[in-house]
Amino acid sequence: MKDTNIYNPLRAKLLEVIEESPTIKSFVLEPEREFSFATGQFIELTLNGTGEAPFTPSSSPLVKDRIEITIMRAGYVTEKIHALKPGEVMGIRGPYGRGYPLDELYGKEILVVGGGCGFAPLRSLLYNLEADKDKIKKVTFCYGSKNPAECIYKPYIENLKAIEKFEVYRTVDVADETWAEEVGVATMLLDKVEVNIEQSTAVVCGPPVMMKYGVMKLLEMGYRDEQVYLSMEKNMSCGLGKCGHCMMGEFFVCKDGPVFRYDEIKDQPDIWK
Amino acid sequence: MQGCNNFNNLFVNSFILIMVDKMVVISMTDWQAVLLQFARSYSFFAPVQFNGSMDYELIDEENTGDIIYNHPKPSTSVKTFFLPVKENVTADIRYQKPTLIMGVPSCDLAALGILDEMYLNRDYTDIYYKNRRKNSILIGYDCNSTVENCHCTSYGINPFPENNFDILLVRLDENVFLQPGSEKGIAMVKELENHVKVVEASENEIQHISEKRKKIADSLTQKNKKLPGYELSGRLINESGSEIWKSYASTCVSCGACATICPTCTCFLLIDRPGFEKVRQLDACQYPGFERVAAGEDPLEELPVRFMNRYQCKYVWKPVKFKSIACTGCGRCIDTCIGKISKNELLEELASEEKA
Repeated sequence: MKDTNIYNPLRAKLLEVIEESPTIKSFVLEPEREFSFATGQFIELTLNGTGEAPFTPSSSPLVKDRIEITIMRAGYVTEKIHALKPGEVMGIRGPYGRGYPLDELYGKEILVVGGGCGFAPLRSLLYNLEADKDKIKKVTFCYGSKNPAECIYKPYIENLKAIEKFEVYRTVDVADETWAEEVGVATMLLDKVEVNIEQSTAVVCGPPVMMKYGVMKLLEMGYRDEQVYLSMEKNMSCGLGKCGHCMMGEFFVCKDGPVFRYDEIKDQPDIWK
Repeated sequence: MQGCNNFNNLFVNSFILIMVDKMVVISMTDWQAVLLQFARSYSFFAPVQFNGSMDYELIDEENTGDIIYNHPKPSTSVKTFFLPVKENVTADIRYQKPTLIMGVPSCDLAALGILDEMYLNRDYTDIYYKNRRKNSILIGYDCNSTVENCHCTSYGINPFPENNFDILLVRLDENVFLQPGSEKGIAMVKELENHVKVVEASENEIQHISEKRKKIADSLTQKNKKLPGYELSGRLINESGSEIWKSYASTCVSCGACATICPTCTCFLLIDRPGFEKVRQLDACQYPGFERVAAGEDPLEELPVRFMNRYQCKYVWKPVKFKSIACTGCGRCIDTCIGKISKNELLEELASEEKA
């Protein structure tokens, strides 16, 4: 096989920008050729001449001609990406790493716990599970955000609620008069759910502090370390297991993760930072 | 695949009789003619003394006489030839004159093991690294002396090249001894026969080289007898408390020199340029913000943690993922540290604490 240049991004045209919340937007891209990824894998998104950052697609892995990336405005590159208008040509490298373990989820009661922009990778997983509805027992999705305005994918949530085998629980830290659901941190929702823990696998994605307390809560509920999967957010720069920026102990998060089973990483230093 | 078996050498006892394979001899006068030919045919680099330090210099027809033989070690490691500080990794790879690098010490050749694993394997090949490796000829040197912080033997590496060279070179008085170590090297030595007088080294001469090797290896082992070995160092680091790291990091200024100069440190940053160009620039975990994410979390924010990270990476984590050794005992990180931090003193202190 001829060596390909691992640093060269595929071009992708920005078709649409969807405002999900005051700080979060989704970017619908049309890659110059078909682009496949497994749910939970990530890509490196290049803003020409400005920078590159890792994101896990929020769209369905079954769709090959479009890819949707949901991005929170957080740093230098994301700030510039938020200012983009449709028509812009961006770059995509990947997909990289190990995604969600679908085989481990089939036949189970799947507890999905998300916080803030951590919903993005989880939506891709939920799309996948929806397509594989016959292979799973049920999906319980718990989602927390800061306030009702920061609650993303509102139309999608409404669709999800209507799907057989899917249950949705939502909470906000601070409510307003429009909010009719729970109030409190995301982990609190776990007190409300009914799952047969023995038959269950949990998937958690969100800000580090939410993941930390989420895992603690799951273990308290009786989940074993091996039943909990996490999507780790580190500074994945090359995506190739080379540049070193995402090292978490012996693991290169970009290559060995970003999805890890809790028991694989619990003894590594600083996993919640 | 060359270069992945250094780790196996960890248990080589440097006290055993050091055998030398078949070598050929060329007189220094003839060798000068060979060097001129090298200077014409290749981008030719060799160690030259300059302002009290020695480093690789471009050799042309004027300065072949300045080349230093068999003295450790060039200020920069051979890594810089394969991973330049900055390289555009989206540019076309155009034809380059082959590079001949002479005078590479054993520690730096051993370090190519982990570089090759990182850049040629691990599912993704870096074609820029691969191209530079393929397009280079390496002439290794025996070390016929030692300098202050050399400690290769502590990590199972001998002070004479055993891997990753095309030709090995030892100069004794007015003769140059060559030993090919690859097909490329065999072809080159064979080609020399067409131009200069090449004879097989005598048993006496080989005996002399073997004795020299043993003497240098023994002196290094003796000098570093308090230094814990590679695996033990990993265990000691893993079991250490935070105090020692705070104490040694107190004079660290996060300049990153230790990582920059290290023959096995390979971390980099990708920089974007207009036109979807990307530049791979060497980076160091010792720089603040190395692991910081956009939302602000930074596992290496605190200096002692960041300082310790480099030791953990080399002695604890890399051995889990790589076959090749991640510290080859060149000692440059100690030579270069402006905070006067000695890695070896730290490791010796950990070892003595354990005994106490």
